[in-house]
Amino acid sequence: MLRLALRNLLRRPLRLALTICGVALGTAVWMTLAGLGDGYRAGLRTELDRAGVQLMLVPLGCPYDAAARVLKGRTLETSLPASALDAVRSDPAVAVAAPMLIAAVPRPEENRTDLWVGLDEASRHLKPWWHMTAGRDWFSATNGAILGSEAALIELRAPGDALHSPELRQTFRVEGVLERSGTSDDSLFFIPLRTAQRLFAQDDRLTAIAIRLKDPAELRAVVQRLQQIPGAQVVTMTEMMGTFLRLLGTVRTLLMALAIVACAVGILGVLNTLLAAVVERTPELCLLRAVGASRTQMVFLVASESLLLAVAGTAAGVGIAGVGGHAIESLVKPFLPLAPTGTLLQLGPDRMTQCALAAVLGALVAAAYPAWCAARLPPALAAKTE
Amino acid sequence: MNPSKSSQPSAPVVIARGLSKSYPRGSVTVAALRNASFEVGPSEFVAIVGPSGSGKSTLLNLLGCMDAPTSGTLQLDGQDVSQLADSGRTRLRRDRLGFVFQHFGLVPTLSVAENVALPAFFARRSDPKRVDELLERVGLSSRRHHRPHELSGGEMQRAAIARALMNRPILLLADEPTGNLDSQTGSSILELFRELNADGLTLIVVTHNPSLASAAGRRLEIQDGVLISSTPGSPPKPHGPR
Ligand SMILES: Nc1ncnc2c1ncn2[C@@H]1O[C@H](COP(=O)(O)OP(=O)(O)OP(=O)(O)O)[C@@H](O)[C@H]1O
Ligand SMILES: [Mg+2]
Repeated sequence: MLRLALRNLLRRPLRLALTICGVALGTAVWMTLAGLGDGYRAGLRTELDRAGVQLMLVPLGCPYDAAARVLKGRTLETSLPASALDAVRSDPAVAVAAPMLIAAVPRPEENRTDLWVGLDEASRHLKPWWHMTAGRDWFSATNGAILGSEAALIELRAPGDALHSPELRQTFRVEGVLERSGTSDDSLFFIPLRTAQRLFAQDDRLTAIAIRLKDPAELRAVVQRLQQIPGAQVVTMTEMMGTFLRLLGTVRTLLMALAIVACAVGILGVLNTLLAAVVERTPELCLLRAVGASRTQMVFLVASESLLLAVAGTAAGVGIAGVGGHAIESLVKPFLPLAPTGTLLQLGPDRMTQCALAAVLGALVAAAYPAWCAARLPPALAAKTE
Repeated sequence: MNPSKSSQPSAPVVIARGLSKSYPRGSVTVAALRNASFEVGPSEFVAIVGPSGSGKSTLLNLLGCMDAPTSGTLQLDGQDVSQLADSGRTRLRRDRLGFVFQHFGLVPTLSVAENVALPAFFARRSDPKRVDELLERVGLSSRRHHRPHELSGGEMQRAAIARALMNRPILLLADEPTGNLDSQTGSSILELFRELNADGLTLIVVTHNPSLASAAGRRLEIQDGVLISSTPGSPPKPHGPR
């Protein structure tokens, strides 16, 4: 039966190819979008988990926006007084409180904006993955700087080099270069907190304070207490995660709508091909009925053709998703909030299985009507036409 | 080679009683066949003749279980088939009947051997030896792997006949089997029919071909859907095979 089906399909190679392309495109879009969603969720989780931070103290305003900006190393319009840091540190449940000051330095002639982050010693406890490819792993001088891997590449600097910033009217000495992490850290310039406060004229001001608790179970009580600090608000990472995932939900709905359109196009393509194949082969199909094919066998014949199309298309689609998925990713990524810098696309075996099942299901849906038509062909027609 | 499976050898293979078929055409119905009653005995060779549009194919399709009669009864090999549902008729077509068409009706994507094996395939059987045997019988052994379009018309019709015989039918039906062949090729097909009939196969052939019609043991003549006569054919020609 499969052989008969295959030969029927091969009879019209161009149509076969076009139909397979349609299915492949549908599959590729579906796989990519679904894979992107998975990767985005996973990426977000690592990004948030890796900080080892349960809370973040940010200036009043939209807390999630603030936290997101800080996580991505972006500046805030408002800032916290340095006194907030003392208040946080005096809380008995707080293990580490790491202040940071983030400033954006526009570089119009290079058409980009550098982000400078002032850190104090406490940040090292929150960044267990803070590894250097070269140089020292902390500032030894007030004009020391540690560069993210991409920042180092762009500036073409290695440890020991001088790094002059005309905008800041300051020359730094590069002390270390961070290992590539795949996070937003890669493009940042790190300098000591005090230096940052002086350079950006933000004495005693902080952008945010990342907080790790001694016991995460105390979270609620700590949030209550820290909420009292004037001019500041507390964001928990779980809340942030939830917010982002909700945001992701909307994006996902959009992506799914796209993917469903893609699948519908694939299914309609197969339906069209099968229907045309049944109509133009009417005499031949009648003949098969005449020499003893049952209605069930006719249904099987059409369904086999449909499955062959779907399997070939899906296989090609998975291939395309693997190769071209990253292109689609770069198209979609700008629309994702807080997209992790690394690649998002995840094409796991679960997705493959889901896709294969969808292909089989789609094939059967597409085959239903043409199969019904084929099964109803009268055998008597076999004698009439050639 | 072509066993007639009837339990009582003398019982008729076909018994038609008041067989009628009408087709709806718009608001009116066309009576393509009216009240045909006849019998065909085992190992008979019957030709159905008549002018175009007289209902020959309609009758043959009823005999071949391709269609259900509008009224009347039809017994094939002792079984009443006039009330059968589609699945029952399909099984009969597959297991008890062989059909040969004017246009050969070979599947172009399958080889000659695969075409011949089709009825067995639909019966979920595989019998390569039977295929070999039949190809040998119709003289196409050397062509078994060829596609239909690589064959001549006569060869295609031979392949179609081999296919019709695949499941050892009790009755072989042919609708103008020589209609698409030149007279010489047509007579070679006629020769094959004669041999099959001589081996005991019951044959009913619709034909415009006078030599085919006269080769038959009996002629049923139809006009305007009515069976008007049943005449014994002329005796076998002296140059016939036996
Ligand atoms: N499927 C159908 N629907 C409607 N009318 C039909 C159908 N099949 C046959 N007829 C009509 O029934 C009549 C008999 O047709 P049939 O095909 O049996 O003639 P025939 O004797 O085989 O003719 P020919 O020698 O030209 O093949 C014709 O008038 C034809 O128009
Ligand atoms: Mg006819």
